[in-house]
Amino acid sequence: MSEDKEKLISEAVEKALKGDKEAINSIEDRVTRAKAKAALVKAQRNQTMVIEEPTDTNSEETPNKNQKLNLSQEIAQKIEKKFPKSIDGEQNEKWIQLKPENWFEIANYLKSDEGLLFDSLQCNTGVDIGEEFLESRYNLHSMKHLNSIEIRIKVSIENPEIPSVEKIWRVADWFERETYDMFGIVFSSHSDLRRILLPEDWEGWPLRKDYEVQETYHGIVIPKVKEGWE
Amino acid sequence: MGVVHGQEMVLNIGPQHPATHGVLRLQVKTDGEVISEITPYLGYLHRCFEKHCENVTYEQVIPFTDRCDYLASMSMNFGYVVAMERLMDIKVDDRVEFIRIIMAELQRIGSHLLAVGVFGLDLGAFTPFLHMLRDRERILDLFEMTCGARLLYNYMWVGGLSHDLPTGFIESTLEFLDYFEPKVDEFENLLGNNKIFVERSADIGVMPAEVAINYGVTGPNLRASGVNWDLRKDDPYSAYSRLDFEVPVGNGIKGTVGDSWDRFYVRIQEIRQSVKIIRQAIDLLPKEGDVHKAMPKKIRPPKGSIYSRTESPRGDLGYYIESDGTSIPYRLKMRSPAFTALGVLNEIASGWLMSDVLAILGSLDIVLGEIDR
Repeated sequence: MSEDKEKLISEAVEKALKGDKEAINSIEDRVTRAKAKAALVKAQRNQTMVIEEPTDTNSEETPNKNQKLNLSQEIAQKIEKKFPKSIDGEQNEKWIQLKPENWFEIANYLKSDEGLLFDSLQCNTGVDIGEEFLESRYNLHSMKHLNSIEIRIKVSIENPEIPSVEKIWRVADWFERETYDMFGIVFSSHSDLRRILLPEDWEGWPLRKDYEVQETYHGIVIPKVKEGWE
Repeated sequence: MGVVHGQEMVLNIGPQHPATHGVLRLQVKTDGEVISEITPYLGYLHRCFEKHCENVTYEQVIPFTDRCDYLASMSMNFGYVVAMERLMDIKVDDRVEFIRIIMAELQRIGSHLLAVGVFGLDLGAFTPFLHMLRDRERILDLFEMTCGARLLYNYMWVGGLSHDLPTGFIESTLEFLDYFEPKVDEFENLLGNNKIFVERSADIGVMPAEVAINYGVTGPNLRASGVNWDLRKDDPYSAYSRLDFEVPVGNGIKGTVGDSWDRFYVRIQEIRQSVKIIRQAIDLLPKEGDVHKAMPKKIRPPKGSIYSRTESPRGDLGYYIESDGTSIPYRLKMRSPAFTALGVLNEIASGWLMSDVLAILGSLDIVLGEIDR
């Protein structure tokens, strides 16, 4: 789209928002007119949302959300201070990216520090992020401070090894077994790292993106996914 | 005289055993009647839920969530659509919100009725089970009236519902509640004051609060340990913040806080609270409204991820959704509450007698479909 057309659209939308509906209808080119109408709908939606948010019942939630955004960065700074060079890459406002090396000590710190007190591991999941990398993600929650953060640890598919936090949060025992089962991420020093949902002699890591369904299992033919079924 | 040492024996309970509430194998080490260690073996019901989700569109995931916890399908749908709406920033009408709450709470009553009834059945009380199934039947009738299905509903859709309420639904629901409310006292009396039931459940399988939190136990099991934690209050979703209800916690009336009896009693009290919530939701339900209005034509969430939790009858139901901007989930993980509840079994049940282990397992209210996914 050329620049002057964009300008035409934005001007028309502005006028229409102020109540002059003819501004859009007077555009001669049909394609431009349609685009202007779409832009108007979008702008109106944004506008109504802006108005709704503070008057809505979740007005209590709004400051919380802001807190949460800062919280993740704040904690990342605390970790960096205590364990230098443990943050992996740039800081993010939604999650904390850590290197695997010091994970056990950091986890212990996150759970036992008075100001943080993340005593509950809500969820642990693996993700195949592509480009030969896997990620283990931990959603932590503090029952006392009612904060939640997400920790991500990236490992290469060649050597997927992360220290186990089973001894810190007992719930991690089964969560880590499940992540191992589905992604083959090895949690070192885990006391009982076996497959949990799949049979013990299953081959491959099913939730990795390069996984191919086996043709037979103990001589039983595994039916192929039908063509065109998605 | 020396002490007589018995020989340790390894036994299997299950996989096909009525007391395991599904297909679960428990390998137990016993010394006489005393169980010293329990190792659960899962996966007999594994249906590759998460793998399937990576091959279907976001809309098509909803029927799969039904089949995870087949005793609380509405709550499973609810958790998923709440996660999707948070990810896509969709706001739905009050009418949709309150219909969802009515359905989820009816489902909670139905699920707790079965949980409590089967718990009694595990301890040998057959009659209460029949009473509870009789009343659960009426809830299933209400669901059938709404969406045609009695077990797997596929009722809540992203941004709306599959159908609006049928005519006469509100009247039938109110009629059911009027009939049902006095029955709750009856259930409480039938089981809670039954001498055999109390003897078999009070002081048995005590779960202290720290253990429960450390093992990630949530829902009624956590509240029975005295922790006031309910996502409907503590991280409100949908329209729960506008409703007035209490969160019952265990206080060890018949024994110690966090014993099997408390887990039973918390569920009975939650049934009463759910009745209260449904009455309020019916009062607040707008008369008119299109339940399809906020539904997006094509579900394509923006790139990003979300972890969203809701309160299912069994605890914190979490969905971790990673979207890559297409109409198919890149990664979808369900954090199932019964999975973590089963994880604590070895901790709280070892050292008890064989019959008590089955009582404790019954009191945890697990559903294997959700554990194995």
